[in-house]
Amino acid sequence: MGANIYRNKKPVLVFLFPAFMFMVVFLYYPFFKNILNSFMEIKQLGSAGTGFNTPWYSNYVEMFHDQNVWTSVKNTIVMMIVTLVGQVGIAIVLALMVDNIGRGKQFFRTVFFFPIVISATALGLMFNLIFLYDKGMINQLLENLGKQNLTDWKAEGIALFTMMLPVMWQYVGFYFVILVTGLNNISDELYEAARIDGATAMQKVRYISIPLLHNVICTCSVLAVTGALKVFDLPWVMFPKGMPLKTTFLTGTYMYYHTMETKNVDYGAALAVLIVILGVVLARIVNAVFREKDY
Amino acid sequence: MMKKRLMAAVLAGAMVLSVTACGGQGTSSGDTQTPASTDNNVTSDAGNDTPAESEPAAEPAGPVELVVTTTFAGEDTNAQNYKDAVAAWEAETGNTVVDTSASADETFKARVVTDFETGSEPDVLFFFNGADSNSFIEAGKVVPIDEIRGVYPEYAANMNDDLITASMVDNKKYAVPVNGIWEAMFFNTEILEEAGVARPGTDYTMDQFKEDCEKIKAAGYTPIAAALGNIPHYWWEFAIFNNQSPATHLDIPASVDDASGQAWVAGMNDIKELYELGYFPENTLSATDDETFAMFTEGKAAFLVDGSWKVGGIVGACQSDPDDPSTLDADKLAKFDVTYVPGKGDRKATDLIGGITSGYYITRKAWEDPEKQAAAVNFVEYMTSDSVVPKFAQHAASALKNAPEVDTAEFNALQIKSMDMMAGATSLTGVLQDLFQGDCRVPTFDGMPEIVTGRVSAEEAVAEGLEIYSNQ
Repeated sequence: MGANIYRNKKPVLVFLFPAFMFMVVFLYYPFFKNILNSFMEIKQLGSAGTGFNTPWYSNYVEMFHDQNVWTSVKNTIVMMIVTLVGQVGIAIVLALMVDNIGRGKQFFRTVFFFPIVISATALGLMFNLIFLYDKGMINQLLENLGKQNLTDWKAEGIALFTMMLPVMWQYVGFYFVILVTGLNNISDELYEAARIDGATAMQKVRYISIPLLHNVICTCSVLAVTGALKVFDLPWVMFPKGMPLKTTFLTGTYMYYHTMETKNVDYGAALAVLIVILGVVLARIVNAVFREKDY
Repeated sequence: MMKKRLMAAVLAGAMVLSVTACGGQGTSSGDTQTPASTDNNVTSDAGNDTPAESEPAAEPAGPVELVVTTTFAGEDTNAQNYKDAVAAWEAETGNTVVDTSASADETFKARVVTDFETGSEPDVLFFFNGADSNSFIEAGKVVPIDEIRGVYPEYAANMNDDLITASMVDNKKYAVPVNGIWEAMFFNTEILEEAGVARPGTDYTMDQFKEDCEKIKAAGYTPIAAALGNIPHYWWEFAIFNNQSPATHLDIPASVDDASGQAWVAGMNDIKELYELGYFPENTLSATDDETFAMFTEGKAAFLVDGSWKVGGIVGACQSDPDDPSTLDADKLAKFDVTYVPGKGDRKATDLIGGITSGYYITRKAWEDPEKQAAAVNFVEYMTSDSVVPKFAQHAASALKNAPEVDTAEFNALQIKSMDMMAGATSLTGVLQDLFQGDCRVPTFDGMPEIVTGRVSAEEAVAEGLEIYSNQ
């Protein structure tokens, strides 16, 4: 009798239902509605579709001829690489260094993690001031060092770098904390045994830390790549409308641009579908590449 | 066991109830602020309740609650004026206003359109009278001024009807205006003096302007503050205007090859020429409008083509506390002046762009509600009265027939200069870009950097925009 309560799952379903309905109403319905909208003709934001496009798949055809789509996909892939190398790579180095210091680990954890708690919009505004053309922080520093002309950090050739640097910087701390936690889980006995065998510090990292961190690094990599697909607010604040010359669009910012700025809502919906497809494909590739190992 | 089941049932019930209650609250609140479509239909269908076409609705028994949506919110310079006026109307009538105003951005516009589509529109709306209002006018969701006058003959009687903009949909007038806007050229007197440039006058031409820009550039300043990659709107408007005339400016070309189309192309090429001459900021393609505006207010750029709403921004930049007028640095403000955008061809410098781009609409829902009809009419009459409008219009134009004399002592130096400039205007032509809206603007607005750098020809960009426009 007493154990029956654990076999009866009906009360659990009752508790799950509100959350399920919430997901249906606020995620799955909009998702499928968005797919439908991508085939419709929508005259302005907020209004319903007036009918199907002619032909109904015209937005998808246009997408293939739209140079900005390719630019945004290319930039998003570059963002993923930068995220992987810059965020996870730097986080690994920092985590290994902090793991090797005796005191102050908690201090560095807090310091490196702190950018995560600041909103991306606020960071975007802050980096706007740092990279400001006329008397921004960097240009003032360069001026004090004797540079005569101001540098436009948002000019065509350098804009992508200026956009990705703060994005990279913001999330290093996130992966750093995950990796430090992973390092803490490695038994000290292994390092002790290696020390007795005469292993150097680099050898301990190469043959103990990195291999035993493999699964954590895989998790970080998957999070970083999928996270790169969602980066939006900071780039949009720093480079609205893909400025300059539409060279800094990411898939997310380009979708937003069409939906909110140009009022080409149905094309924006089609771009959202592209983002989902891109996300699913890339997530599968990343999961295959960074497959976790069983030890 | 029973206790645990009972507890589970109670918890589940509580959760469901809390969810329902949340929904209920939302619905209830929604009902209060914005009646649901079903309510609307009931009111509309209830023919007996609808007042006769030529008779005002009977005075409601008690106070009425009006839902009003306006753009007088956030950073709008009239946000406080609006609050004061609403409070005064509420005190005078005993009615209340549920204010759902918000800043006039794209999200706000989308919200208004959605509200109309879902039957959640307000009773009174202060909104744009250009293409933005087309959808709810097409749907018959707002009431024409003439129809209201059929019942309330004095409605908007203090307005000059010629200055009330007609809808693009049916050429009827719906929105009772409050304040107008103008676009002109601000300049920094100090930079002009230093560069040896005379104050631009009423006969200023583009050729003179280019000569002046050259002198200003030689003096080490940026001649024109503009972010072509962000907000090229005002140069776009005047560049086209300079190749047309006040009579033809609002003609949207049928094709790039007709006279109007070629004027647009010539306008785009004029901006390209200014860019190639190096008169815009070096980072004009990557700067935001805020950055180039700061260049102007900080005395690094000489000219700024913008609108009447920028007067407040310039004055704010001359205050140590932008929110406190008492901190105004009058000497700094004295360095700024406003004049006419240089003319060319058939357009004289004194032919301005401007007009009245917004106004108060009464929605069909409020009009057909016997409880609200009179209150909605009274509210709009109050907000557009001879005593209230001047507070909102300030230095800008209004549509009042008998605008009262303004006390210049209430205005700052730039506002007075603005009024002087407006007094010399020979014509006021509507804003072309208000008629040319949506993604048709993308090739020449967002595409301006490509045009000025020569990656896309002006002809191609204009043709692409017109093609999108014709398909809309």
